[in-house]
Order: sequence, then C-alpha cells, then structure tokens
Amino acid sequence: MKSFKPLLLMTAVVLTLSTLLSACGGNTDNGGAATEGSTGNGGAAQTATKVKTVLIGGKPADFDMVLEQLNSKLKEKANATMEVEFLDWADWIQKYPLKFAASEDFDIVYTANWAFYNDQALKGGFMEITEDMIKANMPLTQEAMPQVAWDQAKVNGKLYMIPNNRPEVIDKVVLIREDLRKKYNLEPVNSPETYATYLKTIGTNEKGINAFNARAADGWKVHELDSIMLEQNNEWKLIDPNIPLAYKLDDASGKIFNVYDTQEYKDLLVYYKDIADNNGWSKNIVSNKNDVWQDMKAGKTASYAQNIGTVAMNLAELKREQPEVELKIADLNPDKKKKAAISTQNGFALHAPSKKADSSLKVIDLLQNDREIHDLFMYGISGVHYEPVGDDKFSATPATPNYTGFSNWAANSPLNRVDAEYPAEAQAISDGWESKIYHFPLETFVFNDEKVKNEMANVGNVMLRYAIPLEYGLVKDIEKGHADLLTQLKAAGVDKLQAELQSQIDAFLSNK
Amino acid sequence: MNRHGFWNDVKKYRTLLLMLAPAVLFFLLFAYVPMAGIVLAFKNYNYSGGIFGSPWNGLDNFKFFFDSGNAWMVTRNTALYNIAFIVVNNVLQVAAAILLFEAVGKWFRKFAQSVMFLPYFISWVVVGAIAYNLLNYDVGTLNVMLTAIGLERIDIYNTPAYWPFILVLVSAWKALGYGSIMYLAAITGIDNEMYEAAEIDGANVFQRIWHITLPNLMPTMIILVLLAVGNIFRGDFGMFYNMVGNNGLLFSYTDVIDTFVFRSLTTSREIGLPAAAGLYQSLLGFATIMLANYAVRKYDKDRALF
Amino acid sequence: MSAIATSGGKPGQPSAGTGIKHSDRLALNIIGYVFISVLAILCIIPFLLIVSSSMTEESKIIEDGFQLIPSEISFHAYEMLFKYPAQMLKAYGVTIAVTALGTLLGLFLTAMTAYVLQRKDFKWRNHFSFYFFFTTLFNGGLVPWYLLINSLKMNDTLFALIVPMLLNVFYIIVMKSFMSSIPEAITESAKIDGAGDFRIFLQLMLPLSKPALATIGLFITLAYWNDWYHALLFISKDQLMPLQYYLYKMLGNMDGMRRAMISSGAVVTMNIPTESLKMAMTIVATGPILLAYPFVQRYFVQGLTIGAVKG
Repeated sequence: MKSFKPLLLMTAVVLTLSTLLSACGGNTDNGGAATEGSTGNGGAAQTATKVKTVLIGGKPADFDMVLEQLNSKLKEKANATMEVEFLDWADWIQKYPLKFAASEDFDIVYTANWAFYNDQALKGGFMEITEDMIKANMPLTQEAMPQVAWDQAKVNGKLYMIPNNRPEVIDKVVLIREDLRKKYNLEPVNSPETYATYLKTIGTNEKGINAFNARAADGWKVHELDSIMLEQNNEWKLIDPNIPLAYKLDDASGKIFNVYDTQEYKDLLVYYKDIADNNGWSKNIVSNKNDVWQDMKAGKTASYAQNIGTVAMNLAELKREQPEVELKIADLNPDKKKKAAISTQNGFALHAPSKKADSSLKVIDLLQNDREIHDLFMYGISGVHYEPVGDDKFSATPATPNYTGFSNWAANSPLNRVDAEYPAEAQAISDGWESKIYHFPLETFVFNDEKVKNEMANVGNVMLRYAIPLEYGLVKDIEKGHADLLTQLKAAGVDKLQAELQSQIDAFLSNK
Repeated sequence: MNRHGFWNDVKKYRTLLLMLAPAVLFFLLFAYVPMAGIVLAFKNYNYSGGIFGSPWNGLDNFKFFFDSGNAWMVTRNTALYNIAFIVVNNVLQVAAAILLFEAVGKWFRKFAQSVMFLPYFISWVVVGAIAYNLLNYDVGTLNVMLTAIGLERIDIYNTPAYWPFILVLVSAWKALGYGSIMYLAAITGIDNEMYEAAEIDGANVFQRIWHITLPNLMPTMIILVLLAVGNIFRGDFGMFYNMVGNNGLLFSYTDVIDTFVFRSLTTSREIGLPAAAGLYQSLLGFATIMLANYAVRKYDKDRALF
Repeated sequence: MSAIATSGGKPGQPSAGTGIKHSDRLALNIIGYVFISVLAILCIIPFLLIVSSSMTEESKIIEDGFQLIPSEISFHAYEMLFKYPAQMLKAYGVTIAVTALGTLLGLFLTAMTAYVLQRKDFKWRNHFSFYFFFTTLFNGGLVPWYLLINSLKMNDTLFALIVPMLLNVFYIIVMKSFMSSIPEAITESAKIDGAGDFRIFLQLMLPLSKPALATIGLFITLAYWNDWYHALLFISKDQLMPLQYYLYKMLGNMDGMRRAMISSGAVVTMNIPTESLKMAMTIVATGPILLAYPFVQRYFVQGLTIGAVKG
C-alpha cells in the first residue's frame, strides 16, 4: 500500500485537474450564449431581442414547452423573446440581492412589496421608468392601468416597477367547520363575538382538536387574527406589517397612532385571553411549525384565518376529498369598509444597468394585456394545462400542476381567468366586497423607511418578543404585559418612527 | 545583517515554504481578499456604488444592535452557552472516547461509534421538529408519559428556565459522534509502552487512564478548546433558530447574537447591519482568543495555537 | 526503517491473567458498557423515528406525530423524491464526484500544510499559524465573497463546489496537533540520511499519520457530502446540482411558496407531504455515507505509529 500511495495521489491530482478543466470548459459555452441576440433596432427582423427575465419560484416541469410558444408570439408582436431564470422559493431571499450586487446580466425581474421592492429601488437596483418610456412602449398598459396603481408603485416620487393590475380586496376571512358549529347549535359565525363562542365551545368539548391554529412559528409579528379583529374590524390601515402604526381609513388628516396604545387593543387582549384560557388554541401555538391547512384536513384544527383566495381553494379541495366534512367561509367583518390591495403586491421591474429597456417594457406590456400571450404566460398551453371556459374562466386539467407555482402573478390583469371550480360562496363574498371598496386619499401613500431603519428593526423585534406572547394569551397578567410592551416599544424608538411617518404623511397630503 | 539572515532563511526553508504555498495562496484569495468587505459595516451600501463606492455612514449600522437594549443580554447568552457547550461537549466526548477504546469489545465499539455518529446527519430543522414532537404540551411524548403515570403536564415551550439545559443536552448529543472521533484518533496514537510500564508498576486501569491517557489527550483538548474559544461570541444559528423558534417568552434565556440579528433583518435587507454585528462578534472573539492563547503559551509554548 | 506495528491489542490488557487485576477492569467494563449503551440509545432512537416517519402516511404524522412504528405505511415521500430518477441519479453523481475529488485533494493539501506548521525547526511556524487562524476570526460577509467567486467565473462549474472547501483552518490545526505527537526522532534520522522535506512528508509522515488522515479525511468527506450552500449560491444548471441542494430545494420550495402566497395574496394549490418528505430526505442523504463509514473505522487501530521508533 505504501509504495502505491504516491502513485495514487498523482493519479488523483491528475484526475482532479482534468475534471476541473473540463468543467471549466463548460462555462465558456454558457458565456457564449449570453452575448447572442443584440438589439435588433432597425436591423433585420430575424434577430429578435432577447430579454432576460428573473422570476421567483421553482421552474415548472413544462415551462420550456410553454416558453417556446410564448416566444413565437412575442417575436411576432414585439420582436423580442424571453429567456427566464428561476430563483427557487427555497433560496430567493439569499440569491435575489446577490444578483444585483454582482451586477449580473438580466433585464426584467419580478418584484413586490414583500420582496423588498422599496429597499431594492432605493439601493439603485431598478431602473427608473418614466412616462415617456411607458408612452413609447406600453400602449396597452397605459390604457388599462388605473392611476392609483401607478401612484402606489412610486418610491420617492419615481416609478420603479410596472405593478400588477388587479385591485381586488384581499381581506382575511376565517374558515370554520360548519358541521361542528351545527353540532353544538351555535349561532352562525359572522362576527368576532360569534367566532369567540365557536372557538371556546369547540375547544372545550371536542377533545384532540385545536379550535384555532396558526403558524406563529414563522415569525409573523402580529396575531393571525389581528388583521380581522384589529385592522378590518376598526377600519384602520396598518402602514406596514412590521410596525404597529396605523391611521383610521376615514380620517382625512391621516393622524398616525400606535395601535397598541388604544382602548380597542386593550379590549382585544381581553378577548384573546378569554379564548386562550378556554381552550381556544393550544398553549404551544407560538411554537407550532405544522402546516395549518394540513392540520385542518386531518381534523386536528377547527378553523384558521387566511386570504379569501387561499381559503376558497381550501374549500374546493376538501369538498373533493372529504365531502362529509362541511367547511364554511366566515367573514367576521361583513359590514366594514374594505380596502383594495396595494398594486405593489406583484410587479415587474427593470434591472438598472439593462440595455434593453424598450424591448423589456414591450414584453411586459404584452404579458399583462395581450390575451393570447397573457393566457400562455399565466396558464400554459390551452387544452393541455387548462381548458378555457368562456373568456374569463378556466378549468384544471391533469397537466395543470406542470405549469404552476411561480411568480407569474406579476402579469395579473383584468384578463385573468378564474378557476371554474372556485366556490360560488367565496365568489359571492368577494363580489359583496367589491361594492364596499372604500377609496381614501392616503391610498397611494407608501412609507419610505430610509431614515429609520434601526427603529424599524428594533420595533419589529419588540413586537415579536412582547406582543406575540401577550396576544396569544401566554402572559398571565395582561395589564402588566401590556404596560411592558408599551415601555419596550418606547425604548425601541417607536416615537421617532411615528414622528417620521407622520411628517411623511403630512407632506403627502399637503401635496395633493 | 538582518536582511542577509532573512534571505538565508528563505533559502533554508525553501521546500517548506513551497509546501505552504498552496494554502497561503488559497487563504489569501478566499479569505483575505473578501475580508475587505468588513468596510460594509461602516457604509450605507447601494448597488451602484458597490462595496467600495457606497457612502460611509460611520457607526450608524451598529446602532440597531446597541440601541435595542438587548445587546448585553444576547452577548451574555452567546458567551455563556458557548462556554457550557465547550465544557460539556468535550468532557462527554473524552469520556466516550476513552470508554470506547478501553472498556468495550471490538464489535460493540464499531457499532456504537457508527450509531453515535447518526445525530450529526440530522439537520437542525428535523431535530427541532422531533424535539417539538417530544416536548409539546398537548400531545408530546413526554407529557403523554407524565399523564399516564398521573403527573401534571409540563409546558416546556413556555417555560424559559428549562431551555439552557435542553439546549446544552441537545448540543452535546449532536456533536458527540463527531467530536469523540478526534479524541479516539488521539488515543490510538498513545505509546503502548507507557501503559505496559505502568501496569508492571501495579497501576490499575483507572490509574492508567488518569495518569497516562488523560495527560496525553491534553494537547488535543487544549487545541480544540482554543479553536472553540475563537468562536465564543458566535452562536450556532441553526440550533437556536430551529429549537427555540420565534417564541418571545424564551428569548431572555435563549436569544443569541445571531438569532437576534437575523430577526432584526426580516424587515430591512440592509447589508451593513449584519456586517456590523459580525464585526462586533469578530472583535470580541479576537480579544478573547488572543488572551487565551497568551495564557496557554505561558503554560507550555508548544501547546498554543500560534 | 520500517514501522513495526505492535499487535493491535488494547493497552492495559493484562498480559498474564492475574486475578488481582480483574476487578478494576470489570468495573471499567461495566461503566463503559452502560455509559456507551445509554449514549447509543439516545442517538439511535431519533434516527429510528426518522426512518419510521419517512415511511408513514403524511396524514397519520399530522394526527399522531412521529412514532417509532408507522401506523400506516406509505412510501409517498420516497415516490416524490424519486419522481425524477434521472435527476436524482445525476445529483448523487455530482455529490460523489465532488466529494471524492475534494476529499483527496483537500486532504493532501491539509496534511502538507499541517506538516510544515508542526515542524519545530521551522522558524516562522507560529507566524503562519496566526496567518491561517486569523481568517477564522474576521469575515467580510457574503456579498464580497460572492462577488469574488463570480469574478473568477466559477459560477455554474464544479470548481465552485470543490475549491472553496478544499482547505479549512480547523482541520489544518487539528492535523497539525496529531502530527506533532509523532516523535521527532523519526524525522531526525531521515534528515540525517539526507532526505528532503517533501520526501519525508510523503514517505514518512503520511503513512505514520493514518488515524489523523482517516479522521480529517472523514471530516472533509462529510463537509463535502453535506454541503448545499455553495450550490445554492453558485449553481443554477440542473446537471451540476448536488444531492443535498436538490433535496433542500424540494423542501424549501414548498415552505417559501407558502409564505409568498400569504404575503402576495396569490393562490397555488399543491399537495405535498412535507413532514414525511423531510424525513425521507434525511435518509436518502445520509444512507450512502453511513454505509461507507465502517470502512473508515479500521484505521482507528492503536499501535501503528509507535513501533516505528524502535526501527
């Protein structure tokens, strides 16, 4: 063995080097492809501009198939084609900023308020999109996009993304076990009080089931019922899910207040504690890492709160799989004012150093507003990945899962199709909301937190550490807990945050 | 005269220097070059400026950490936990290694060694899930057993006092197989003659372990402890995050610098903030290891790291 | 000069079966068996939970939690994992190639560096030790490092998976510690015979350091085998995806997507067995290494180094 060792080592080294070299060679191939397809401006109609797009999500199995068809249409109508790179859900948070930091080569990129749109724009990652650019390249979008949507997407007065065009209400509702409610002869659940009764009854009498469950372990800074009980119920608007500052929807002066420092909140704490003490939810709810919907399907949870869209699909799913279990969507704030979703929930932005802004904008224009292209991008190939039902619906096919699960929502527009299986009751609720959408002057206000980043971070931390256990009823003395929360918030700089926010709002309103 | 001596030395050590060259170049490229990024701790990073062009902002990035009122708590927690880990883990691993070597039969040893390695492969995500399964209040295995014998349930996830013990035990469990291997390898290098001589002198097996095995393991122990001391202000993020999660009730007992910083940054993606926190950890670690290494040098020059 | 291996027996074994010595050995054995058994049980039970859960029907896991014996057997998780067998095999292939190459090269370089650092006659060994150790204290963060690798054009190549992990200060220092316990008398005599440093290293030091090489080799192997981070940052081509990253993506995708759905209001329905999948992933990723581990164990035999002194 000893005499072989040097020989073995040498062989290993040689093998290593040769493999590495061959792998290296593979890289240059990749580099070559990137330079192809320069701007075909005035050149032969043959060379379409290749627009590189970065989307978030896992690459669907049939994506290449669909992209081929999509590109042939894009070439026809805009003399451009798309090349798409996917940043998986698993690691987009890490990779997304790195792509910008390394100034990698891409033109269009998905962005959203929850994907740190504001931050990225301020750091210079996105190209400013001017009125002229829109005029020149996006005729369809210019017509279709409401002014509110444009205004909401501005950062420091400049536009950095093409927002999605779907001003729906995405208020939260709760999904309940209607069969259990009937079992105990409870009143229909349509308000915070009836919901509390439901939770306490089920929690106390049904063994082995959690009346309510949430996935607080994910680090949300507010109780999962807060948007319903606190925000929607009182007709407030929370500026940002990470800070406890809000204004009243119909307050024309836009006065900001700390939601934790209100009587409504004190009352809510009593409400929550009452539910918690009566088996409304598990003592360990804050550590729960299970998927709540899966829990509900398995019969271990009797209700949870979520966006109406998600809940509707849950309903449809269970109807198919367990028809004997009856679920119902309960809107706990049926008579309150509703707000439309902010347009920056999804959108496309341009990478600042991109040289293909014009073609990129043309492509985005078509993705959102050209029926054929929109259908392809959003749903796949007609007849394969979906069956069109009329102009505005579709029904799923066995191949539907092969083209889903990524951020094509950036192209949301009035051309969207609704799943034909979408439960009628959910649709009824949504329709009811549409008629109650309330418009208010501060609708287009977006908070710029540049100057108060430290306070944002610290306040968020305080919310997680002190507010969450308090809200989930884990603190015995609510009054003391509440007082502690307010003290800690002050120490974290919530006053400075509030002052900054108020001054921005005042400036915004005076400019209107 | 010094210059002359220096080049003579280079000539004298030329083979050794050549042998060191790959590693020196490697770390120069992959460690020292990126180290320039430490400046980010003092800058307001933007994409157009990049690392070197972005504007300076003094100590602003450190403010979120020090103004939070939690800086001392998380620093203290990080250090204390690491000290506990160092002590408990090493003692356990040495004991396991010695017993494996001395006290059990060959096949049992091989089996036990393989089995002890299993926890290393289980990711913290899975460990956290298993722990939750075992310890949760409603249906956790622990509480099921307690109620079966008529005792009250224990609410582990809402009682901070249990957690230092839980975390220390879990950390020891996970590192056991990995760490004991190093000690095992060191034990195999101990000269058999010493044992034979001691036996002839009438020492029993415990005495042999105490007077021969342990002293011979000292160099390895010291090195491993010193290496760990350099990281005494860095928390094992995977463990703390997956075991403790986002349960604020437990934070005073379990929050470490790394988890605290991570949570602070879910709101803003400022690169400067974690860079500042990292620099803070590095400086503290640097001071600590310099002291520790100096102390070891005083005791025995060859046992130190450098 | 030959290395005489003493018989691979354990130290302290009474050469003559004197009755007086038996009681202390017996005591030690009892302590040993009990202590090690307890540890072994604590280590194996969670693993059994994982194996069992990987084969359990997902809904049962949600209902009952992890059980030692599956209440309802289902291989759905494994089906999901192996749904694209070609992909999976490729992932295994990449991981094996990267691990094998990385370990061989890395181990060699680590040993060579450690050897120089432990040479007591090397005037600058402490300076270089500090040079290496310092890199573990200060760190520029992810962004500069990513930019560096990017600028070296290592993206999407095997280089990015192998090179950054070739050398690790921790292993170098531990190896140095092991090597310094080898008596200097051996290398002294070789030098007197006129052997050069590299030859001494290659032909003397390496063979004498078998336990150290096995240990560090094992660690390097494990590091490469378990690595998903470098793939996450630098690999986007399917063919170059190592096993751990492939698995991590599969799981993380569902998690990340769920959160995005909540934030963005979008809806996607996907039916995925997350809990059992996590467990199956652990088994799939761990299995091969565990099988290879016993082969490494035979290097932990006492006495290989010692006899050589007498030679």
